[in-house]
Amino acid sequence: MKIIIGVKNVVDPNVKVRVNESGDKLDIAQAKMSLNPFDEVAIEKAVRLKEEGIAQELIAISIGNTQNATNALRMALALGCTRGILVEALDEFIEPISIAKILREVTKKENPDMILLGKQAIDDEASQVGQMLAGMLNLPQATSILTLNILSSNLVEVSQEVDKGSQILKLKLPAVLTVDLSLNEPRFVKLPQLMLARKKELEVLPLSQLGINLKASSKVISYLDADTKRQCKMLKDYDELIQVLQQQMTNIN
Amino acid sequence: MKPLLIYSPYTINIINPNFYSLLAAATKITAECEVLLIGNNLEEIAKSISQLEPVSRVLCLNSLVELENLLPEKIAPALVEIVKNYTHILIASDSFGRNLLPRVAGMLEIGQFSDIVNIISPTIFERFMYTGSILAKLESLEQLNLLTIRTSNFIPYKIKKANQEVAAIVKLDLNLDENYEGTEIVKYDFIDKSIDLSHAEIVVSGGSSLKSKEQFDLLIGGLAKKINAAIGASKAAVDEGLVSNDCQVGQTGKVVAPKLYLAIGISGALQHISGMKNSKVVVAINNDSQAPIFDHADYGFIGDLFEIVPKLIDKL
Repeated sequence: MKIIIGVKNVVDPNVKVRVNESGDKLDIAQAKMSLNPFDEVAIEKAVRLKEEGIAQELIAISIGNTQNATNALRMALALGCTRGILVEALDEFIEPISIAKILREVTKKENPDMILLGKQAIDDEASQVGQMLAGMLNLPQATSILTLNILSSNLVEVSQEVDKGSQILKLKLPAVLTVDLSLNEPRFVKLPQLMLARKKELEVLPLSQLGINLKASSKVISYLDADTKRQCKMLKDYDELIQVLQQQMTNIN
Repeated sequence: MKPLLIYSPYTINIINPNFYSLLAAATKITAECEVLLIGNNLEEIAKSISQLEPVSRVLCLNSLVELENLLPEKIAPALVEIVKNYTHILIASDSFGRNLLPRVAGMLEIGQFSDIVNIISPTIFERFMYTGSILAKLESLEQLNLLTIRTSNFIPYKIKKANQEVAAIVKLDLNLDENYEGTEIVKYDFIDKSIDLSHAEIVVSGGSSLKSKEQFDLLIGGLAKKINAAIGASKAAVDEGLVSNDCQVGQTGKVVAPKLYLAIGISGALQHISGMKNSKVVVAINNDSQAPIFDHADYGFIGDLFEIVPKLIDKL
């Protein structure tokens, strides 16, 4: 089985993202970056499938500026992916529809059995790429999956939560699957593997070679720091607490 | 041109609160909108909606199967034909909308705007990024704007007057791809939530300090029941198995905006905060005076929840 895994380096979740003075750009040029947590889960699943002998080729693909994409791919290779494809894109934020178009071209070329993506990136949190790609290629899709079982070379079973409950789906391969955090607990990368991965050659795919029209669907007017804190009034005793709660409930009714 | 609201009613005759929030969002674009209903047995609800004043037309896309079995793969092809007639398509950013609209966008090869929290003009929208710590204002460059709406951020539209002319109800001729074979629903478990977390006015939320499912049910469940609130939880509580996944409030769970949010034994991780920061009033109860939750609460009480919560259940 051949699996394509989308990987993205994002601003590390522990870093506070700041807006520049004029409010039109994010101050992230020097920020610490790390692999999107959802992508780590996708890589982990793919690697386990390889270890179980179910998957043989794990192709990690990253789209972004050379440094971020290279680091993401090296991590993916160190964790167990077998190939890394880098598509260089220079914009600060590459839109999901553009990513989907790029992945479509790579998918057509590579013919994978499965495309595994994180359900969203923790920076833009769009949660669109998987579904867009599935729509473009007319493939079955399952998003935010909590479990994934391979039933045969062309059939998988997944579970997911939906609005009014949960469901189990069977999908024919090839299919696009996006993973949620609960799917697995990703392993830590081992330093020797990372050193080895640095020496591996990445396949660089120039954007121009893909023949896609990447026109922007939006532009950013401004960013606002939305990290608002509240002034907390500490309550002295149970009576005060009960009083405050009663008051709030009365206001509501 | 008018916006089109896409709505799939789960309950045949009742219009869910998030429909009115969608209506509020639509009326920020133009005064009138059209509504597309997808599902089966739509006659009654189509009639109710056609009587709402901002609605000028109701389209019905009927399916032969129960809504639970309507997969995005089955609906998207019909939608691709329908949406071409509009400039704005609005759907709630629940799992139905999030699975469906981007697939449609991919088929049309256009961009899509996720989880919109504010509509400033027909071409300017706002949405959060980075775990809710950044609010981005975007200008759309698309002719067709496909939006999923964070309904909890839109105050439900208040119907001011009856519709002067009841809107026409049109049964669409397009077929849903009922025979699609690529994806099959093998099992569906319906969870009956009498109070929908996303639209509850009061939420009682518990953290992993509750230690066991029984304790969580007894204390958080007990308090929620007493004050007619919905039950929420931190990711840690869900991961520990104290409560089901659909109660999770946070970046990877539900985003809520109740009038009152009680955070009990929740430390206040950033990803949890992003899920409840739009609450009107936040009251936090925690043993730890340094817990970050207090930075995001209006009222705080430091103490042992195992002592406090039973008292609240008793006295409130």
